[in-house]
Amino acid sequence: MGISRRDFLKTSVAAGTAATVGMPLAKEAEAAVMTTEKDWQWDKAVCRFCGTGCGILVATRDGRIVATKGDPKAPVNKGLNCVKGYFNGKIMYGQDRLTQPLLRMTDGKFDKKGKFVPVSWDKAMDVMTEKFMAAFKEKGPTGVGMFGSGQWTVMEGYVAAKLWKAGLRSNTIDPNARHCMASAVAGFMQTFGIDEPAGNYDDIEHTDTAVLWGANMCEMHPILWSRITDRRLTHEAMRVVNLSTYGNMSSDIADTEIIFRPGTDLAIQNYIAREIVKRGAVNKAFVEKYCVFSTGPNDIGYGFRPKNADKFASAAEMVVVANEQEHTLDADEAIAQGKPVGTKVKQTNIATPDKHWHISFEDFAKGLEPYTLDFVAPLAKGDPDEPLDQFKTKLKLLADYYCDPKRKVVSYWTMGFNQHQRGTWVNEQAYMNHLLVGKQCQPGNGAFSLTGQPSACGTAREVGTFSHRLPADMVVPIKKHRDHAEHLWKLPPNTINPAVGSHFTKIMRDLEDGSVKWAMVQVNNPWQNTANLNHWIKAAREMDNFIVCCDAYPSVSAKVADLVLPAAMIYEKWGAYGNAERRTQHWRQQVAPPGEARGDAWILLEFAKRLKVKDFWGEQKVPGLKADGFEDNKLPSVLEAARTMGYDPEMSLYDALFATRENKAFKWPDPVSKGHANHIAEKEGWFVEKAMFEEYRTFGSGHGHDLAPFDVYHQDDVRGLKWPVVQKDGKWTETAWRFNEEYDPYCRKGSGFDFYGDFAKAIPTGNLDGITDPKPVPLPGKAKIFFRPYAAPVEQPNKDFDLWLCTGRVLEHWHSGTMTRRVPELHRAVPNAVCWMHPRDAEKRGLQRNDLVWVESVRGKVKVRIETGGRNRVPRGLVYVPWFDEGVLINKVTLDTTCPISKQTDFKKCAVKVYKA
Amino acid sequence: MNLSGILVVAKPQFQAEVVESLNALPGAQVHQVDAASGRIVVVQEGADIHAEIDAIKRIKALPHVIMAEMVYHYLADDAHDYDTLPAELQDAPDAVPSCLNA
Repeated sequence: MGISRRDFLKTSVAAGTAATVGMPLAKEAEAAVMTTEKDWQWDKAVCRFCGTGCGILVATRDGRIVATKGDPKAPVNKGLNCVKGYFNGKIMYGQDRLTQPLLRMTDGKFDKKGKFVPVSWDKAMDVMTEKFMAAFKEKGPTGVGMFGSGQWTVMEGYVAAKLWKAGLRSNTIDPNARHCMASAVAGFMQTFGIDEPAGNYDDIEHTDTAVLWGANMCEMHPILWSRITDRRLTHEAMRVVNLSTYGNMSSDIADTEIIFRPGTDLAIQNYIAREIVKRGAVNKAFVEKYCVFSTGPNDIGYGFRPKNADKFASAAEMVVVANEQEHTLDADEAIAQGKPVGTKVKQTNIATPDKHWHISFEDFAKGLEPYTLDFVAPLAKGDPDEPLDQFKTKLKLLADYYCDPKRKVVSYWTMGFNQHQRGTWVNEQAYMNHLLVGKQCQPGNGAFSLTGQPSACGTAREVGTFSHRLPADMVVPIKKHRDHAEHLWKLPPNTINPAVGSHFTKIMRDLEDGSVKWAMVQVNNPWQNTANLNHWIKAAREMDNFIVCCDAYPSVSAKVADLVLPAAMIYEKWGAYGNAERRTQHWRQQVAPPGEARGDAWILLEFAKRLKVKDFWGEQKVPGLKADGFEDNKLPSVLEAARTMGYDPEMSLYDALFATRENKAFKWPDPVSKGHANHIAEKEGWFVEKAMFEEYRTFGSGHGHDLAPFDVYHQDDVRGLKWPVVQKDGKWTETAWRFNEEYDPYCRKGSGFDFYGDFAKAIPTGNLDGITDPKPVPLPGKAKIFFRPYAAPVEQPNKDFDLWLCTGRVLEHWHSGTMTRRVPELHRAVPNAVCWMHPRDAEKRGLQRNDLVWVESVRGKVKVRIETGGRNRVPRGLVYVPWFDEGVLINKVTLDTTCPISKQTDFKKCAVKVYKA
Repeated sequence: MNLSGILVVAKPQFQAEVVESLNALPGAQVHQVDAASGRIVVVQEGADIHAEIDAIKRIKALPHVIMAEMVYHYLADDAHDYDTLPAELQDAPDAVPSCLNA
């Protein structure tokens, strides 16, 4: 590249940057941009990576993406990009991109032990369908599983959910979002009766305090972090507190860093609540008018197999897994729960962990009584080298921030709270403290759950692609919800299966014990992202089952699969994502998928063309099904009712559910395309994404989840809209803060605040020990303040495995690295995972930086290099290994314990040893 | 080679000083300055993202800099970059990736 060309490009990049952030352009700069960009076509889109949901602009030329920049009009990022977002344009162009279906074959026939061979789509679909029908005939709806994703577009998730729940009558569909924010969902539903945050990102510019609870925002949400940094430097009163189990990059600008022992966040939050009560800082007017107090059982297990676990777990694993039946309270739990040390507690509520009841304020305060500073500080202090007095001072300061009536506070969290054996509890506790002081649902005040995936909210949660959910916060066990879904989907009564299906980790367990025999993977990497991997890799390769993996690159999950289908990536299809502040953002197809790669929605629709109504809507066996109006263990035949509704049993599920008269009315081409192609619509003959979005939004309209019409999101001046989006004076208007009458159209007039969510809003009455009056009392318009005790992590370091292991992400890589490792710059920046260790822990083991070591638990081991410096500063006694690197499959080591309520795995704490390899 | 456009915000009273320090950094060049808002546009040239990340860290560490983030990225032709990826990520298009049949 010659000097003049380079200088010219630089001028152009500078001008592009200035224009993006709204600075005036010099004449010659403008000319440079005009020349450089003369054949480029710019269009608005959204970032492929985290849950922040930054707007980006994408430039294409000759069918290829040539540049990306932050979208200056996007309110989320105001023109900025983080290092991952910066490389959105490059992730599609890895050299090993999958471009044709690959099937394991020997001598031209499918063979589970065979090698991958390219096949046609027809052949792939034929074998996949044959294997699917065999599994379905043998096992019924629970025997076929879908590992879905918070990276599915809204429309893809909707197609998958409808195919599974309405077509196959199976609830064995669950997204990787289960690993990511299921605890947040459970916390919202239990506390507010409706999912997703009340506030939005603008809270940052209104607040005086940002408290990070197990969220390394600096690396994981860099753009939000730049807004917090900006606030810290421009607002005198602003304070930032970083609570974490190890020092990280977010500590660099934090005023206070609190390093706590894994799992003791439960105790710290109760200490704050106790201070609020003791100091008389309770906002009585708010609490009395808008809240009730509540609690639930403590004997809820740890999310392992409820029975017969010893058939699959080794004797060494069973030491911890046996706690699912009975748990012995350690000294701290004994104090925290007001019971004698060594009490053996039978876990009697493993099937009903979410039940809860109303308690009095006096009982609530009594529950908090043990959580004094003298009890909590020594329990929670995570750095053995920090003086106790210093740690106590920090906890007191944190309590001051919450108590001070003049100080606005926002609490942020992601995986630290969500990936937690008591993840639902610790989420509920965050709301506990904000509700007690009335700092919730107002600009600059609120507890705000961040998300890790671009559409964990938009697709996984709002569309309801979980094993228990339907769209718009409805769930399968509730008859009223099924009836409503059946009405909108035009299904015969009792088509939808009322039994909750298998969650993500349970689908793995089902593959291991043979109860699931066919599974599909879309937009995620289950054989890298699930804890205790050795079991699941063996199950996939050695059991009699068939696994289909749709992916863009040869991931670990592709390697263990029987059929690999080449998937189109983000800008190769039309789509929409919903971010963590309820903002739904759409984009158009920018470039064509390479080779024979196709969008995930197309793959599902093609599959549905091969499935017949008669095979699914007849009587089906469902082991364990028990529900009012259903015979035990079976779903009734609805074929007769279907016939009267105009369905032919020979019809395909494609015609019955998707290519309906109403949907085919959405014609392609459509003026909204503005010249952009659509590889799916061109094949199907109708505008699939628009039809699916319009059908989907009927679920939320009028129910607090209103979305605008498809075309509105594609208008040039719209940069996504925060739901509920309602029409005001003929204009589609978003909602900035929910439950606050000033902003939220759903609040009753004169209410001030109105917690109108209606899930679990009639509960029994009791005390800290249990229910005293089972009669449900309705709680309209109120939020619940939960008391939840400290519970010790089920596996802790011991003499053989003497270190805590925490896992997580790094800035440069996205999740399992399938995309970002293909970007040479990102790969080179962080080529391999390392094990961060305290220098003195390394020295004690005779290890040095860069030494190869084994990190081993009772479940498995991985080889990795030691890092004793760098961006993470772990305390003595803890090591941190990120999970993006398939060469270091750290999930072979991690423990598959889940929060019993949310079923989300705790990837943040287990016991390991480290020794020289 | 990578080119990135970086927005730097400096405390307005120290803007001249910050511009000087920015121009002294390797591969960095100040292209535009807005006195009223303290905003500065820097174009950073770097051999690879490592160099670019180091560069942005250096910029953030300068005295009187309030914030610095990337805005614009030019995707230079970088076919040769794939030489630096491990072999398993470099399969020729249209073949069955070798790692799948390993």
